[in-house]
Amino acid sequence: MATLSLAAVTRSFQRRNSAGKRESFVALGPLDVQIGDGELVAVIGPSGCGKSTVLRLLAGLDMPSTGQVQINGRPPRELQAQQQLGIAFQEHALLPWRSVEGNLQLPFEVAGVPATAQRIGELVALAGLKGFEHARPSELSGGMRQRVAIARALALHPKLLLLDEPFGALDAVTRRRMNFELERIWLESRPTTLLVTHSVDEAVVLADRILVLTERPGRVRMDIRVPFARPRPAELVRSADFHNLVDELTASLEPA
Amino acid sequence: MKLQAFIYPALGSLLLLCAWEVIGRNGLLGSTFPALSQVLRIFADGPRSALLVRSTLATLGSAAEGFATGVILGAAAAVVAHLVPPLRTGLDRMAVLVNALPVIALAPVLIITAGREGTPAALASVPVFFLIYTSTAVGLRGASARLEMMLLTLGANSWQRLTKFQAIAAVPQVVTGMKVATASAMIGAIVGEWFGAPSGLGVVVLNSMENFQIPLLWATVMVIAAITLSSYGLLTLGERAVRRRIGECDA
Repeated sequence: MATLSLAAVTRSFQRRNSAGKRESFVALGPLDVQIGDGELVAVIGPSGCGKSTVLRLLAGLDMPSTGQVQINGRPPRELQAQQQLGIAFQEHALLPWRSVEGNLQLPFEVAGVPATAQRIGELVALAGLKGFEHARPSELSGGMRQRVAIARALALHPKLLLLDEPFGALDAVTRRRMNFELERIWLESRPTTLLVTHSVDEAVVLADRILVLTERPGRVRMDIRVPFARPRPAELVRSADFHNLVDELTASLEPA
Repeated sequence: MKLQAFIYPALGSLLLLCAWEVIGRNGLLGSTFPALSQVLRIFADGPRSALLVRSTLATLGSAAEGFATGVILGAAAAVVAHLVPPLRTGLDRMAVLVNALPVIALAPVLIITAGREGTPAALASVPVFFLIYTSTAVGLRGASARLEMMLLTLGANSWQRLTKFQAIAAVPQVVTGMKVATASAMIGAIVGEWFGAPSGLGVVVLNSMENFQIPLLWATVMVIAAITLSSYGLLTLGERAVRRRIGECDA
């Protein structure tokens, strides 16, 4: 499976200062984070703190300016090339001309692995979309599309699952339901998972461990374990323990 | 609402046609402006309508040949430019250069290379090539960044990204380019026929002008306009169907 390591990672970008000159500024880090095999880690932080950059670095879509990002001691690109990476974005990113089944087949086609009808059936069931196999994305609700995208991310049993605000575009009620759905889906294979979210509730419902980042440049302000047993019951969100943890984390998001 | 949208244009067209008839009959714009009825009579005239049918087939053949050549070469060049970035700037410039050359200036060169019979199709292919190259390139490069990133993270190589995503997402843009290119292909074919082609609508236009067969000239122009408008209309329908089938990548 996968262990992740970010060692002294920073990411700088160029911008124009008030005088109109180009200058480099540090958006993220330095960051030192180790994530163990099978952990579901949520990253929260004020907007612009570089949460999504962490995810892009792990996906091999971006390179750190300094420091090292490694997955099982290797560069992230290798995991990507081996089709061992599952990712779901805030917007569903489904091919609009393909049906639910067609979209679920895509990872198999790219990897050159035959997609058995049985495996596709399992993924459809995982997404809770039996009866919608032949529907196109435009015929599905936002929550359904996102479930297809997550099922697709899990299609090849990835070692690492990256979720970038996967429910950010959904309404609060659907979002809460999707959180528990995601836990159910995740428990079936337990890949190492990084969840980037701006919802403290969502992080507490889903994560084993929560990293709170500071404002730019994003650094780890808090690194806490979520003590609740799995599978987490729906009543969890009404318990005092849950609210205390949410309050504590929300307070930690306030500017220091 | 729907009915009104249909009635007003129809009424407007009818009015224009009536004005044409009245102006022509009374010779208000001189003897080279015939009445609509005189022009229409050409189509009822056996030998002349046979000439028009023969010429239409010849021109359509050349235009279609040039169109197909331009579409295939233009799309292929755009795909090459997309897959091999070092070639991109060069191919972009070449396409712009080809388009900047006046077609008339190219014709003599084409006559000595493609021959009198091949010139109409060759001239038709030039503007089509440019339009399809441009629209394909825009379609391929403009594909949704989100889906692009998704395919990258799935580990797709550039050929897989092209065949499974970019090429399909580019189809509506290419069809729009084809829609615009139909008229260019007709113009290219007709102008190409002016340089000594054995038959075609361009030949009839020239001959009837030189022999002062005014109604025939107008009838030929009418046929050309009808072909261009209907091919444009057909591709507009095709474009709509394609957009519906492919859907919006960023929706």
